[in-house]
Amino acid sequence: MSGGEILLDVEHVSLAFGGVRAINDVSFNIARGEIRAIIGPNGAGKTSMLNVINGFYHPQHGRISFHGKTRARMKPYEAASQGIARTFQNVALFKGMTTLDNILTGRSLKMRRNLFWQMLRHGPALAEEIEHRKFCEEIIDFLEIEHIRKAPVGTLPYGLQKRVELGRALAMEPTLLLLDEPMAGMNLEEKQDMSRFIVDVNQHFGTTIALIEHDIGVVMDLSDRIVVLEYGHKIADGTPDEVKSDQKVIDAYLGVAH
Amino acid sequence: MFYREVGQFKTSYAADQAIFPIRQDRIGLALILLVAFVAIPLLGGEFLIASVMIPFLILALAAIGLNILIGYTGLISLGTAAFMGVGAYACYKLSTLFPQVNILVWILTSGFIACAVGVVFGLPSLRIKGFYLAIATLAAQFFLQWCFGRVGWLYNYNPSGAIEVPGHSLFGVAVTGPSATPVTRYYVVLCIVVAMTWIASNLVHGRIGRNWMAVRDMDIAAQLMGIRLLPAKLLAFAVSSFYAGVAGALMVFIWLGAAEPEAFNINLSFLLLFMVIIGGLGSLLGSFFGAALIHILPIIVRAAPNALGLSVGSATVEHLTYVITGALIIFFLIVEPHGLARLWQIGKQKLRAWPFPY
Ligand SMILES: Nc1ncnc2c1ncn2[C@@H]1O[C@H](COP(=O)(O)OP(=O)(O)O)[C@@H](O)[C@H]1O
Ligand SMILES: [Mg+2]
Repeated sequence: MSGGEILLDVEHVSLAFGGVRAINDVSFNIARGEIRAIIGPNGAGKTSMLNVINGFYHPQHGRISFHGKTRARMKPYEAASQGIARTFQNVALFKGMTTLDNILTGRSLKMRRNLFWQMLRHGPALAEEIEHRKFCEEIIDFLEIEHIRKAPVGTLPYGLQKRVELGRALAMEPTLLLLDEPMAGMNLEEKQDMSRFIVDVNQHFGTTIALIEHDIGVVMDLSDRIVVLEYGHKIADGTPDEVKSDQKVIDAYLGVAH
Repeated sequence: MFYREVGQFKTSYAADQAIFPIRQDRIGLALILLVAFVAIPLLGGEFLIASVMIPFLILALAAIGLNILIGYTGLISLGTAAFMGVGAYACYKLSTLFPQVNILVWILTSGFIACAVGVVFGLPSLRIKGFYLAIATLAAQFFLQWCFGRVGWLYNYNPSGAIEVPGHSLFGVAVTGPSATPVTRYYVVLCIVVAMTWIASNLVHGRIGRNWMAVRDMDIAAQLMGIRLLPAKLLAFAVSSFYAGVAGALMVFIWLGAAEPEAFNINLSFLLLFMVIIGGLGSLLGSFFGAALIHILPIIVRAAPNALGLSVGSATVEHLTYVITGALIIFFLIVEPHGLARLWQIGKQKLRAWPFPY
């Protein structure tokens, strides 16, 4: 699936927090339709890279092009409107809202009815609400979370919260989906479910995915290409087979117990 | 008691997206409206209508406004009374400058003026949160209250410093001033409060309400959904202040008939804050519960010794009222920190499962 059109191009990006250099001159790209894994030990700068991509952090050096458009500084809501969605390493759901409302929030940008219609909640506003409810129900079916539709997400077990968070991101119909350790803290079965969802999203909806994951088995299975970071530097980039046999990677990452 | 949804299968998302999906809830709402619109005006005495219901409805309206800000959007405000004051003074100025215009028009216009002032004082909310924002709104409270007392133009240079409501009539019926009957005034307040509660309910159940709650629960993730924080927060300030402004105008024009700047002091802001917290943050129903508890409870406590045939000095009654009301507030907060609205919901849940305990 790789080798196609470049969807996201990261060029010579460096990011520092005061003295801490989180990312050091890293370049890589993501092709449309692929699953691109970003791996590396804790503190390697993976999460920071996602934060740069969706506009939370502004790199001191380097450029990022999405859809061929290069941007200087982008706000997170602009990234969202361009089709970049994201899940967080530590679940960042809207805890006081139900599963359904969380997922409906993902449709926020697609809902157009203004304050006036929202006040009346009739006619076009209600029609719009129901149309998006239908869309969200499809996601709920797909992720097999029908039973918790009306449950406040704050009360759900961690594994389900991760699933709801994926649902909320999918509701945005993103072009690029950034997943930050979607299987962290899950048992084997939950991991298998989540892997299946990720592959399905990629294949059926054609969504391009950037995946941060520690479980090497999962990464090797799912991804088309892998970029390996260590201490903010890129040390390898290629297909799972290439990365697996890369001596630097073996020394730095795969070799050491982790 | 048959409060359950058995046999009521939602066959469409339209039915399930309704604000009251359960039939019994809709019947309950209809009953409440029937009591409010028919039973109370027919059967209620002047005291019930003028001293219990009118203030209760007006306070509930202000509490809804505050709840939109604190409960739904997570922005703390200690300036609600000041925004009510803006509504009251705006309505006073407008209705004395242009007395021939329909007073309802001026009440709603005052809401918009309070709304504009609220947005200005809401601007810092992008940069500051929590206690710091509370302090910023406290500044609004003191600054605006100072204006009410010192800017003579606002009170038409009345030597007493108070604003006094002239008589206004609507379709030939007096709605403000001394000749307006309690029942007329009650209907004016009731219609406005019902309409504005309906609008608030529509707002919080749609995209705008979800955006507010998203900002409240996790503003970082909200931005990722494409929600822009400043417009979302300012809209909350705008809507909230509009509600406060209308409530303030109603308070002076329909309830009190006259007011001094002191009527809009920090105590009222705190009282409204209590109502919202005790009633339930993020619940419109809770705003009514809170207003009922804070306004009606003391009336009952005050009337209790007489009703029981005890002779207690009026000063003692006043002290007892404070003590008992305070104790009850603490009691309710301990029993259910999420407010009376949650208590109500748990009760309904139990009823749904009845007679099985689980
Ligand atoms: N907001 C921040 N402020 C200061 N340092 C940060 C911040 N975010 C990340 N860092 C630092 O940047 C480095 C990379 O962190 P991170 O991107 O979270 O790594 P990873 O996700 O690969 O575990 C770490 O040394 C971390 O301490
Ligand atoms: Mg990380």
